[in-house]
Amino acid sequence: MWKAMIRPLFKSPKFIVGMTIFLLIVLMAIFGPILYPKDPTSFAGMPEQPPSKEYPLGTDTYGGDLLAKVLNGTRSSLYVGFLVAIISMSIGLLVGIFSAMKGGIVDELLMSFTNIVLTIPSILLAILIASYLRIRSLEVIAVILGILSWPWFARAIRAQLMSLINREYVYLSRLAGYGDFRLAIEDLIPAIATYTFMAFILFINGGILGEAGLSLIGLGPTKGVTLGVVLQWAVLMEAVRRGLWWWFIPPGLVIVLLTSSLLIITTAMDEVFNPKLRER
Amino acid sequence: MPKTALKPFLKYVGRRFFFLILTYFVAITIIFILPRAIPGNPLSQLLSRIAVQGAANPETISNVQKSLMEEFGVGKPIIVQYLSFLGRLFRGDLGTSINFYPKKCLDVLAPFIPWTLFLLIPATLTAWIIGNTLGAVAGNKRGTWMDNLVLNTSLVISQIPYYWLGMLLIYTFSVKLGIFPTQGGYAQGLLPSFSFKFITSVLYHYVLPFLSIVIAAIGGWAIGTRLLVIYELDADYTIFAVNLGMRDRTVFKYVFRNILLPQITGLALNLGSALGGALITELIFNYPGTGYILFRALSTLDYPLIQAIFVILIVAIYFANFIVDFVYAIVDPRIRLGQGEGS
Repeated sequence: MWKAMIRPLFKSPKFIVGMTIFLLIVLMAIFGPILYPKDPTSFAGMPEQPPSKEYPLGTDTYGGDLLAKVLNGTRSSLYVGFLVAIISMSIGLLVGIFSAMKGGIVDELLMSFTNIVLTIPSILLAILIASYLRIRSLEVIAVILGILSWPWFARAIRAQLMSLINREYVYLSRLAGYGDFRLAIEDLIPAIATYTFMAFILFINGGILGEAGLSLIGLGPTKGVTLGVVLQWAVLMEAVRRGLWWWFIPPGLVIVLLTSSLLIITTAMDEVFNPKLRER
Repeated sequence: MPKTALKPFLKYVGRRFFFLILTYFVAITIIFILPRAIPGNPLSQLLSRIAVQGAANPETISNVQKSLMEEFGVGKPIIVQYLSFLGRLFRGDLGTSINFYPKKCLDVLAPFIPWTLFLLIPATLTAWIIGNTLGAVAGNKRGTWMDNLVLNTSLVISQIPYYWLGMLLIYTFSVKLGIFPTQGGYAQGLLPSFSFKFITSVLYHYVLPFLSIVIAAIGGWAIGTRLLVIYELDADYTIFAVNLGMRDRTVFKYVFRNILLPQITGLALNLGSALGGALITELIFNYPGTGYILFRALSTLDYPLIQAIFVILIVAIYFANFIVDFVYAIVDPRIRLGQGEGS
């Protein structure tokens, strides 16, 4: 089982490329701040210096070391991304599974609720909520983004389970006297595991991009440095129009590499596990 | 051409209309509840902040405070506050701005909204058309170099945030090459009018923000369409058509029509996030749209104005959603002709 799942993945060049880039960035986020232990928020030296031996990514207007900022920012952005993914996945699974298994009026109510949340533009709502909070930790940002981004996943899970529930093996388990909980754990969750994993990855992407967006509009975390916060200051200090490329290119590049490597991983997984997409 | 069945069409459109109204009601209620439910009550903080500033300019400040107290219904029971909030919305009264006191929020916003629509709608539609075409062609020629090129570039491009692409474009084309203006919606010193000079200036300033939205949005559509085409090419009707000996182009035409339906729904669902991205892009370009005024309102905590912006933006999105639903109902023969469910 394990072999059948994992080995074909490593035959996909896409998966290898995506995974390599992603792992490199994760390693950078974990060990970077340890190996390069400069304080990202303190004054490091001359302001607005281009990259040099002393400041590998240059400095900003306040003389902050940008490499330290990007390394710490990557760490915080990934942290926010993971938290968002955990929150949205949990809500999505809960709503999706509950809806599919209970059916009837429960299903109808939950799905109307899901559709309403899906139709309310989540970014706008996130901006609105964040604007009322004076102090926003990384976790608060993650909660705001997490509670708004689950609906599409809940719908997909419900749809998948609906088609599973009518299969014979599930029916047999029911006859064998399985309760809802045992049925979910033994029959249903394994069947949606790969899809859930892929959705988890996409939620990380959504979290990272959502944080960056909130930060740029001035509603990011009030404490700590994220990639979005670095970009926000670059915009506020007109780094783009003053040609300070070392300030706004690296954080954006890390965001794009991170999220696109994750998207490449899910695409590769889809190509391997989805029978409809398998190359013939 | 078979006769159009009006009844199922109206039923579908009516159901969608009802759903959107209901959802809008929920959204409005959230907008109402948020400032009152969040710990630390941002509203009373705002009022006390204004009271502190009152020392400097007592006359205006106390007027601002009075209008705020009244509009937010401070001190009245919550249900009364809610009903009067709804009542004022229904009459089109979105409250008084703090920054621009005594101007009404709606009057403050009115000049900014067309700029956002002018940027967002053409850019989103262009990206939708180009992205769908590219994705369809790639999916149809699956496994070729072209497919790989489209897929791999799309995977990266779709993850570039609009605003970061905007920054790169400004840096390359404005700062380094000096081809396009670095910021704004039109040249400084010009007054908005229907003169040739003003219009060309607007178009000239339009290029970069437009491109950053279009380019960044193409990838997502291309990826989605490519997948849908691959699924459709595997469907029974396609295999049947191919075995009948239909030309590839004819088959592709049928496939393309079928993938358009989910992508039309996708367009409706995508509008919200596209708008969010466009707002930040406006900020990067100092484009005189809603994003710019929203940023100003946010940085000064002008809550009435912030609320008004959201009330309007969400209405705009739902209105667009409804138009998309309408188009969907016309395009989908199951609804147009009243065959099958087609939800």
